[in-house]
Amino acid sequence: MVELLQNIIDGLGRGGIYALLALGIAVVFGIMHLLNFAHGELITIPGYLTFWAFNNGFNWWTVVPLIIISAVITSLVIERIAFSRVRGATDFTLLLTSFGIHFIVSALFLVYVSASVQSIPRPSWFADTIAVGQLNLEVFDLLVIGVTIVVLAGTTWLLQRTMFGLALRAAADDFDTARLMGINSDSVIRGAFALSGFLAGVAGIFWLMRAGSVTPSAGLNPMISGVLAALIGGLGSLKGAVLGGLALGMAEVLIRSWLPGGISQLTDGFVFVLIALLFIFRPGGLLSVPSVERV
Amino acid sequence: MFPDKRRDILSPILGSVALFVLLVGGGLIYQTILGSGSAERLVTTMLIDAIIVIGIQVYIGNTGILSFGHIGFGAIAGYAFAVFAISPEEKVKRIPDAPFGLLDVQLPPVVAIFIAIVVALIAAVIIGIGLARSGAKSGAVAPTIITLALLFVTHEVTQNWSDLTGGNRGGLAFGIGDSLNSRWPILLALFATLLVARFFGQSRAGKLAVAAREDNLAARAMGVNPLVQQMSALLVSVAIVAVGSSLRVFEIGSILPDRFFFDYTILTVAMLIVGGRNSVTGAVLGVAVMTAALELARRLGQDGFEIFGIGLDDAPLDWVFRENLNTVVLGVSMVGFMIWRSKGLLEDWELDQWLFDKFRGEDDPEPDRLAELEDPGSFEFAASGIHVSFGGFKALSDAGITAKSGEIVGIIGPNGAGKTTFVNVITGMVEAQRGDFRIDGEDLFGKPSYALSRRGLVRTFQNLRLFNALTVRQNVEVSALVAAQHRDGRVHRDPDALVAEAGLWEHRNRRARELDYGNSRRLELARAAAMSPTFLLLDEPTSGMSDSESVAMIEQVRHMARTVGAGVIVIDHDLAFITGISDRIYMFDQGEVLAVGTPEEIQANPAVKAAYLGSSAVT
Repeated sequence: MVELLQNIIDGLGRGGIYALLALGIAVVFGIMHLLNFAHGELITIPGYLTFWAFNNGFNWWTVVPLIIISAVITSLVIERIAFSRVRGATDFTLLLTSFGIHFIVSALFLVYVSASVQSIPRPSWFADTIAVGQLNLEVFDLLVIGVTIVVLAGTTWLLQRTMFGLALRAAADDFDTARLMGINSDSVIRGAFALSGFLAGVAGIFWLMRAGSVTPSAGLNPMISGVLAALIGGLGSLKGAVLGGLALGMAEVLIRSWLPGGISQLTDGFVFVLIALLFIFRPGGLLSVPSVERV
Repeated sequence: MFPDKRRDILSPILGSVALFVLLVGGGLIYQTILGSGSAERLVTTMLIDAIIVIGIQVYIGNTGILSFGHIGFGAIAGYAFAVFAISPEEKVKRIPDAPFGLLDVQLPPVVAIFIAIVVALIAAVIIGIGLARSGAKSGAVAPTIITLALLFVTHEVTQNWSDLTGGNRGGLAFGIGDSLNSRWPILLALFATLLVARFFGQSRAGKLAVAAREDNLAARAMGVNPLVQQMSALLVSVAIVAVGSSLRVFEIGSILPDRFFFDYTILTVAMLIVGGRNSVTGAVLGVAVMTAALELARRLGQDGFEIFGIGLDDAPLDWVFRENLNTVVLGVSMVGFMIWRSKGLLEDWELDQWLFDKFRGEDDPEPDRLAELEDPGSFEFAASGIHVSFGGFKALSDAGITAKSGEIVGIIGPNGAGKTTFVNVITGMVEAQRGDFRIDGEDLFGKPSYALSRRGLVRTFQNLRLFNALTVRQNVEVSALVAAQHRDGRVHRDPDALVAEAGLWEHRNRRARELDYGNSRRLELARAAAMSPTFLLLDEPTSGMSDSESVAMIEQVRHMARTVGAGVIVIDHDLAFITGISDRIYMFDQGEVLAVGTPEEIQANPAVKAAYLGSSAVT
């Protein structure tokens, strides 16, 4: 029982990061039907800035805003350079464009920075735990859970209570009609990418703290996790994305603890198989958005 | 299987020979000019990549589904090949604890390749069922993720199941001198690959898969079950990739998990999309172009490289031209092509089909007009008690009609009367809660749309759904192919004659997306007629047409229906058109049948006037 509770907290800590990533992916998907395989680069690029910053006397307090701001800027720049040129293209084109950007960014760091692992110092309290009854709670997990709740609440407020949120939801529902109603498509799309970048930035802080390093292909794992979480929840559903993130985090922790020691390194494989099964029996994800085929 | 022997068999053979000669010849010239061992290796690598990329083209090109998983299938095949082909003495060094007694097995490479194919095909069937379940269709996201998941799972397993695979460090390796030391097997496999890929593209399965790629719904309405075609494309494609991957392992002499993972996936997919994913010629061109571009970038990135005596090692050039420059070029070319030329260099241009059209010329004689069938047979369509509601809204309640062969039945009603919903129900595109419909007593309620059209209920669409990238001729040919297999006992009209009959002969080789509105409607009619239907269901065939075009359409529909012996059920809200064409008319209003009768009776019916013109017009 204690172990299960412990695992749930661990899972929420992991899942919170995934939820933030997935939500950013879902926001962009909703608005331009783009499954952003380049989402992980919103961690890679700030990651290298972080590495540079620590070598130039920054500490975590000053690095945190740097990560968030650089993630937002990166997101907007990628939109400007690439995604704005494929707006309205086929899904095939969109998928490969974002995939290609992921590949280019890692190639650029590989060729022009270094192939080797650049380490980022973890904060001093990283491994601290707090004992609550029989539970040993990691400060890091609690921080992730707390920040995730605050950020999600803020995002909900933004989407539900502001003009920008209304425009974004309208555009996500029917882009062309929203445009005809006088919503400025450029600014809504940029707003969506900025929001997506902000969420990735927050997730990136924790991701980089936990990884303690950055490499040219550092974006791959967060991207895969975020994309999978968004799909598990049901692409296009923002609630689904959050739910999918938490479910993915939980599944990873629970599967790892249940697998016998010898094959615990196969956790990711099992998670993938589980997700494939989910797709087979519920192709639209947990909260599938009904898509009507127009005849 | 192949409708036109010259076009679909002879021409692809010649085309394969030509592509083979061009690719291999180009490679040989390059390696002779450079005369170095590294040039020779580069060419060998290119030929193997070509096999794998053409294999991927068979799936991605024909179905339009983006797969990142083919290299995962390649990994499965590569390891199967290695485990069976490597000698026990070598295996003892790397995988002494191999399971299933595989340690002592050694088979000749050719046999091992066959085993690799079988193992990869088993995986393909499982994944293929998953893809089908996920609702795979052109451009869909879910199948792409499933294939990506396959890639990652195979990588995880090959890395971690080290008893069988040797894992990340050891890998599996042939003994010195045991690996492939001749290029003939590669050349043979490449030629066979070209043939198979081209034959598949020209075959019935390939053509139907392409139709589903262009418009999944319209393909199902023409009796195509896209999932079957996608599965056959997947199996052919995976078999080719399995051969290519086995040869890759055999040629390199060893296998490691990372050789069949992300980087190779990106490389092969980039080659395919740069050349043009919708044709085999495009795949071959993409392999050649990307191999050359990446090799150039690699050399530019090396230290000591000079162009016309100018070294690239001086600052700031040296900073740009660095090692691994080729990976940047790879990514940039992928994104660049997606942005500026998303269908690749050649789009769907196929060398042999282009040559075939060139030599045949444009002057093939226009087919004679078709005579109307004397005896179309007698069929009866009866639908009754059909209920459909969307949420709380009742779209149809207790609606039904009857129709006989040779008859033209009109359905009329104001917007929202449920006309289109009715046609959607009897073509299997909308699910009804209750109801019954039959042709000659055979219960067809609840059947999927491809099955219904194979029974003879064939429709057109209000908002035009042609196979846009296909030519006028090919559009009609798709349904003729389905009819040949599934419409036994019916008179099958020559597709060319139907094209001429629809007045589209001069446009026969143009792509459907280039047609104007009226011609597109006529093509939809011809395409439906080529299914040899028992009943043609026309959903607003004159919408968007001028009055004079509508009048001409009346004759065309009537004549077309008689040449294939079909009854017609036609929906329109244009009262003049419907009364001009129909023998009997059903008036729908708010999901119910309000009145039935001859055109005169309907025009005189006060309830019709009320529904159509408003009740004040009657009083």
